[in-house]
Amino acid sequence: MPHYQAWEEFTRAAEKLYLADPMKVRVVLKYRHSDGNLCIKVTDDVACLLYRTDQAQDVKKIEKFHSQLMRLMVAKESRSAAMETD
Amino acid sequence: QFLTELTRLFQKCRTSGSVFITLKKYDGRTKPVPRKGHVESFEPADNKCLLRATDGKRKISTVVSSKEVNKFQMAYSNLLRANMDGLKKKDKKSKNKKSKATQ
Repeated sequence: MPHYQAWEEFTRAAEKLYLADPMKVRVVLKYRHSDGNLCIKVTDDVACLLYRTDQAQDVKKIEKFHSQLMRLMVAKESRSAAMETD
Repeated sequence: QFLTELTRLFQKCRTSGSVFITLKKYDGRTKPVPRKGHVESFEPADNKCLLRATDGKRKISTVVSSKEVNKFQMAYSNLLRANMDGLKKKDKKSKNKKSKATQ
């Protein structure tokens, strides 16, 4: 279970993992206020990628990445729905 | 709905422990896959994802579809960022001001 130190590497590996099998991959985000840190994990039940941080600047990156994955997951639907802004 | 609950979850955990959030793609299956060749005639929907949150005691979850994702994402991102503020701030020059985690 590799712990990633470089955010870039983590996102690249995580996205690759997700695109390989979108149905199996899940993303877990764990926040501990008492410890003051944030941990994000991406796994397909075979491989597992982990990234931990205690830096405020990473929160934005992690949250953006999380949103990206969310978008990927809902993106398969007919394009017209995604194009329309209601 | 879900977002209000999530806000409350974060607020509650500010002093105690962890918040777990899980994101997973959802294919609309409500019944388990049958073992024998009896094929279920349901349409696997590909455009939804399942979002769960828990503080170890309470669990909340919601399904997000492509229609809701825009609105949901905006609110959700703000929520994440507003609540995960207990982390260290990296400043080049650390002044003698001690960064107090405001509760």
